[in-house]
Amino acid sequence: MERSQAPLLALQRVGHIFDSGTTAVEGIDLSFAEGSFISLVGPSGCGKSTLLRIAAGLMTPSKGDVQRNFDRSPGALGFVFQDPTLMPWATALANVRLPLDISGRSGAQAAAATALARVGLAEFTQAYPRQLSGGMRMRVSIARAIATDPKLLLMDEPFAALDEFTRFKLNDDLLALWQANRWTVVFVTHSVREAVFLSQRVVVMSPRPGRIAADLAINLPAARAPDLRQTHAFADECARVTAALSQVMEPGSHV
Amino acid sequence: MSKFGQLLLPSLFGVLVLASWELGVRWADIPPYILPGPVAVLSALIDNFPELAAALWITVQVTLAALVLAAVTGVLFAFALSQSRVVEQMLFPYAVILQVTPIVTVAPFVIIWVDNIFVVLLILAWMAAVFPVISNTLFGLKSVDRNLRDLFRLYGATKTQTSLRLLAPSTLPHFLTGLRIAGGLALIGTVVAEMVAGTSGAQSGLASRLLEASYRLELARALACFVLLGMTGLAIYSALDWLSRRLLRHWHESASDVGYDRH
Repeated sequence: MERSQAPLLALQRVGHIFDSGTTAVEGIDLSFAEGSFISLVGPSGCGKSTLLRIAAGLMTPSKGDVQRNFDRSPGALGFVFQDPTLMPWATALANVRLPLDISGRSGAQAAAATALARVGLAEFTQAYPRQLSGGMRMRVSIARAIATDPKLLLMDEPFAALDEFTRFKLNDDLLALWQANRWTVVFVTHSVREAVFLSQRVVVMSPRPGRIAADLAINLPAARAPDLRQTHAFADECARVTAALSQVMEPGSHV
Repeated sequence: MSKFGQLLLPSLFGVLVLASWELGVRWADIPPYILPGPVAVLSALIDNFPELAAALWITVQVTLAALVLAAVTGVLFAFALSQSRVVEQMLFPYAVILQVTPIVTVAPFVIIWVDNIFVVLLILAWMAAVFPVISNTLFGLKSVDRNLRDLFRLYGATKTQTSLRLLAPSTLPHFLTGLRIAGGLALIGTVVAEMVAGTSGAQSGLASRLLEASYRLELARALACFVLLGMTGLAIYSALDWLSRRLLRHWHESASDVGYDRH
């Protein structure tokens, strides 16, 4: 899966210790090839979110290096939080416009409307967040992240709070968007099925402190459709990731 | 509950109370310098209306000026406090002292130091009103969504952009809560200040007139002042409540009726 060119993002021997003295992550070596979709899975407390915040530049790690081999202009990086994190006082369109408005780009209105259309919300531009369902709010959040056409898209358990049906639908739509645009995506999740369905590579992390336990290439075709979930190949890959995950679970803990 | 019931029930209760008051006063033959009936209060209000309205206007001017001043200074102060934890720890206790000190005890000093009676009243009313603006606005500034803050940082927003596009709107509901409380306190502060300052003559406000009338045992006139002040307080609260709903109607739970619908 790795290409010969320099990876878009690389973490080298990254470690982080919180002010409280807790070691969040330790000895992380990870590189992310341009255009790849990579998931980080692991039990709570394995530092997945910390790693994502370090990758985003929202946190400076106490050890190691972060290499970002892309133009670091605002908007080159998109971030989707676990909560939709929308401004409740602004319409869906104004929320999606935010990153474009901040950097003062021209054509913000049209770009934001296009982004909303791409996540299937063309008719909801004037809706306020509280008028939208949980799934629709997350769609707005994704539209905001992709409105700037980012090089790197970081997603921190974006669908964790949604019901399974909505989650499947958003997985399908996210996969279709990624296949059409090929952003580099780093996706944090608790769900093995979600990780396998979306990713080319799944990184399994172990907790306390967060370390990389396994780095698994997913042997599924690049072109995927929703019915992939019913295949044996998909079930086998899920079993492989689950096995790696159960190795890192602490004795007595339950998922 | 229906809109009709919301208006009708309290009105009915009010009429009932007023009627029994009037009948009670007449039946027991209570002299008007002890307790006048509502009819006498109403006629005192009508007879003295030009004079009372002029006095009310002075009280309202002080109240509104104090409210505006409290809003502006309260927001500026809260913003300054929110800039640094050290500044907050250093200054917030003084805001609390300002709040817990009864303005009656400060009034004598202010009266000595300041000549202009309007300014005296303004300072005292401002003292009564400013704290809820400070504390609510500060609370709002401190409870801005952390992820949204991160997002603004990620997209390289300037301090001005963050202030205008994030801090101001997310603090607005809290500021408006403070302002609604401050509206009532500004009026109370003005009334207390007028009474303590002992203003008299053409420049005196409605609270001075109330005091004056009660000294002369003109209780009907005093009660007319009381009624006008009560209505003023209600009007200020309603206006601020309307403003708050208007500004927040699209997005804030407090401005929506959704929660109260019973299907």
